[in-house]
Amino acid sequence: MTTRLIGEPVQRVEDPRLVRGDGRYLDDLGSDAVEVAVLRSPHAHAKILDIDVTGALDVDGLLAIYTYDDLTGPLADPLPLLIPHPALTHGRTQYALARDEVNYVGEAIALVVAENRYLAEDAVERIVVSYEPLPAVVGVAAARDAANLVHDDVPGNVAANLVQQVGDAAAAIAAAPHRLSLDLSVERSASMPLEGRGVLARWDADAGRLRLWTSTQTATGVRAAVSVKLGIDIEQVEVITPDVGGGFGVKIVHPWPEEVLVPMAARALGRPVKFTEDRREHFVSAAHERGQLQHVEVGFDDDGRVLGLSFRFWHDHGAYIPYGLIVPIITSTQALGPYKIPNYRVEFDSLYTNTVIVTPYRGAGRPQGVFAMERTMDAIAAELGLDRAEVRARNFIQPAEMPYDQGLIFQDGRPLVYDSGDYPASLDKLKRLVDWDSWTSYQAAARAEGRRVGLGIACYVEGTGVGPYEGGHVRVDTTGRIEVATGLTSQGQGHQTAFAQIVADELGVPLSDITVVTGDTRRFPYAVGTFASRAAVMSGSAIALAARATKAKALRLAAEALEADPADLEIVDGMVRVAGVPGAELSLGTVAVLANPLRYAFDEASKAATQFAVGDPDAPPVAEDDEPGLEGRDYYSPARSTFASGMHAVLVETDPETAEIRILRYCVVHDCGTLINPMIVQGQVHGGVAQGVGGALYERMAYDEAGQLQNASFMDFLMPYVSEVPDSIEIDHLETPSPLNPLGIKGAGEAGVIPSAAVFASAISDAEGFSITAMPISPSELFHLRLQHVQQHHEGEPS
Amino acid sequence: MRVAGQATLHAPIERVWQALNDPAVLVRTIPGCQQLEATGPDAYAMTVSAGVASIKGTYAGTVQLAELQQPTSFVMRAAGAGAPGTVSADVTVRLIEQEGRTLLDYQAEAVVGGMIGGVGQRMLAGVAKKLAGEFFDGVNQVLTGVAAVAELPAAEPVPGAPQVFTAPPQPERRVAGEPVSFILGAVFGALAALAGVLVGARTARRS
Repeated sequence: MTTRLIGEPVQRVEDPRLVRGDGRYLDDLGSDAVEVAVLRSPHAHAKILDIDVTGALDVDGLLAIYTYDDLTGPLADPLPLLIPHPALTHGRTQYALARDEVNYVGEAIALVVAENRYLAEDAVERIVVSYEPLPAVVGVAAARDAANLVHDDVPGNVAANLVQQVGDAAAAIAAAPHRLSLDLSVERSASMPLEGRGVLARWDADAGRLRLWTSTQTATGVRAAVSVKLGIDIEQVEVITPDVGGGFGVKIVHPWPEEVLVPMAARALGRPVKFTEDRREHFVSAAHERGQLQHVEVGFDDDGRVLGLSFRFWHDHGAYIPYGLIVPIITSTQALGPYKIPNYRVEFDSLYTNTVIVTPYRGAGRPQGVFAMERTMDAIAAELGLDRAEVRARNFIQPAEMPYDQGLIFQDGRPLVYDSGDYPASLDKLKRLVDWDSWTSYQAAARAEGRRVGLGIACYVEGTGVGPYEGGHVRVDTTGRIEVATGLTSQGQGHQTAFAQIVADELGVPLSDITVVTGDTRRFPYAVGTFASRAAVMSGSAIALAARATKAKALRLAAEALEADPADLEIVDGMVRVAGVPGAELSLGTVAVLANPLRYAFDEASKAATQFAVGDPDAPPVAEDDEPGLEGRDYYSPARSTFASGMHAVLVETDPETAEIRILRYCVVHDCGTLINPMIVQGQVHGGVAQGVGGALYERMAYDEAGQLQNASFMDFLMPYVSEVPDSIEIDHLETPSPLNPLGIKGAGEAGVIPSAAVFASAISDAEGFSITAMPISPSELFHLRLQHVQQHHEGEPS
Repeated sequence: MRVAGQATLHAPIERVWQALNDPAVLVRTIPGCQQLEATGPDAYAMTVSAGVASIKGTYAGTVQLAELQQPTSFVMRAAGAGAPGTVSADVTVRLIEQEGRTLLDYQAEAVVGGMIGGVGQRMLAGVAKKLAGEFFDGVNQVLTGVAAVAELPAAEPVPGAPQVFTAPPQPERRVAGEPVSFILGAVFGALAALAGVLVGARTARRS
């Protein structure tokens, strides 16, 4: 009997290859390729007066130098604005190579192709660009003040202003028995995958065909964009995603300038061409996220129930806005979390700054929204002297109220309707896990010993599995092996394991017989991409449906061969058999042979499928409305996103002298519906928490006033090591299956990072006795906050 | 980035001003300076060669003088660019006579861009000060006669043509145990030291 695999902690089948160094990442490919280096702007804002390449021309091994003037047709247009929105009235995107102005340090100005990267960099150094520097707009406050403009034709630096509301927040706040207002801020950070961006292009001049490998989160997106930009029929463009060393959002942006320039050069030069981004380039020419200033006004009753909430924020989207308003829309809608806010108004400005573009980074605007709401919940509890968990519980949407319509429009243009969830049950689990009820006495005992400890809590709801669709293809070959393909890409999520588990269960085959291919447009040309914690929901569901179609066909064909009713058949361990009749069985490989009637034999299996061997001589070999082959293809396209949720608690200790912040415990309760593979979900949560620790306590983008990123290296940009991540992350799962898809699953990829800023701010506030309003926070910042509060305390005392 | 520093020069203020105005002195005392040239009214160009480990390059710099108050102060607006990055700085220089010696005080407001800006800004101020110190040591050696400049081959002045001064071949300098070639500092240090260049180049133009 085949054991059910969905829900089992199956070890990842991709790992033996990856941990032995057998992975094939972008830079492992194309050893015969010539390489590029990019001349990037050293100025945050400047006019380009002249580009003089003469000094570079005598570099040995130089093949070509491209500047804006060399771009033709659609390549000379700005790069696409990927996600238009009616509120995005002033959308601006960059040119593949800067035309006459640069708007951030790192913006691409010239592309040099040479025999290798060393020579290409030598040539880059010899290009002389004359600039007229312009005032740089750096940081949200400067953008909002608009004393200087990033783009002359964008007044106030405002790309978009968007308001959404339900009820009448202003009136509800005005009429509320209690009112509070909070000013909050969140700093920039970045996805920072270990592998940066990279592209390899081969142009087949004989076939007029382009094959492109790119380290992306969307092979089909890159394919469409490159086809349009280079004027090549899409059928002549293949995009393959090799092993990708992390994405975390930054690689969903496409096409990067290099993704169109590298194939352009490959076609022009007739040589394979490769771009491998270095770390500094990744810091200054990929993408960042998170930076916002926020203002919250809230009115609530004596029990801490929110009556009205007004959330105003200013979002820094960098120099251009290729990814549209996705991040601020997510902040504005997901701020609501698990709460029932009867009167809610949210308004944001998305602002240009002379800094690197901002596009989704794991969490994608949710960490900021959750920060605003959870700081508010803590503030209400503090104001009323109530327990922080209790205030949250009183505002929860109840399970019986599902599906719950929040009355807003979500990032996918669809109504923000929570499909399922049980927030009170999650909170109960978290309180038990962290021993919430004995916290007060624990803290008092610690204080008596001179220790400062704090417990933080934060809750979130996460829209996952956004549309429009994904597809899956399942094919059984004549040896009985199962080939599965889906179009979205993998960056370490364990898709080869999780999707195989789904197929193993649906089809009744051993896991080891299944191979999964992702992100290869030759295998599956219809797809959207891997983002918004959607791969398991979307491709997982599509693959389940495709496997069901394959099974139905296998049963139908086997029923004919076995002269049985399909309803009496089952597939166990790759054998189709009549239930309860020993010996009446066919292997799936044999069924695959029968599925493809042949004229010509080429091996023993095919001999069995030739015309003199099988089939009813009076019937068409392939029945009407049928197709040869044992395979199934299907698509999953839900009306709405599904909503996962979770709650985190962290126990921290802050050093009374040095203000160092130490994590004592980290507890997670997580609900992503049905778990396909608990070990993979656990790994996702671990990784997310680690990234969240970095975002809350260490990472920031240190821009100076001139727009120079001063910490553009791993020497200065602090990522958490294993020594900074909690030793044990305690996890409890709740499974409230989604009613929206066949497996009941919700996304899990981003969950771990979403409440980090909020939960650490909550814990540090609890330890210190004053509210933390800006994240991330370093020991020296905490130290200075202590001094300020001591000073204010003294000033407040009568002299 | 702000860099400020002081140096004591062992000569009266007028002699210091004179030395700082002598391109023959400056071209050999500015760390890494290969050449300087008057390009117009109060405008000068200089070339500095510097680098550390694999990051080496030649930097072309321009300098504009302003607010000259001989012999006590001036402001220098300098910009340099090379492969590893760009530097621009406004440097305010003040000279104060003290008992036969001269106290020089400089304050620079600098923007460092490109690779050097992103990789090691936190180290720049220190290295820049070190290089500036080396510059003033060099000037002091000239002022106190330890080093002679008489043999320095200044290019023959050609009426109407820009004046060009070229440094003699020099052994590699060292700063804080590293080859001066520490680019991060060299570019910036040269700019801090540019204080002198400008004045020097100005003298050249007048002569």
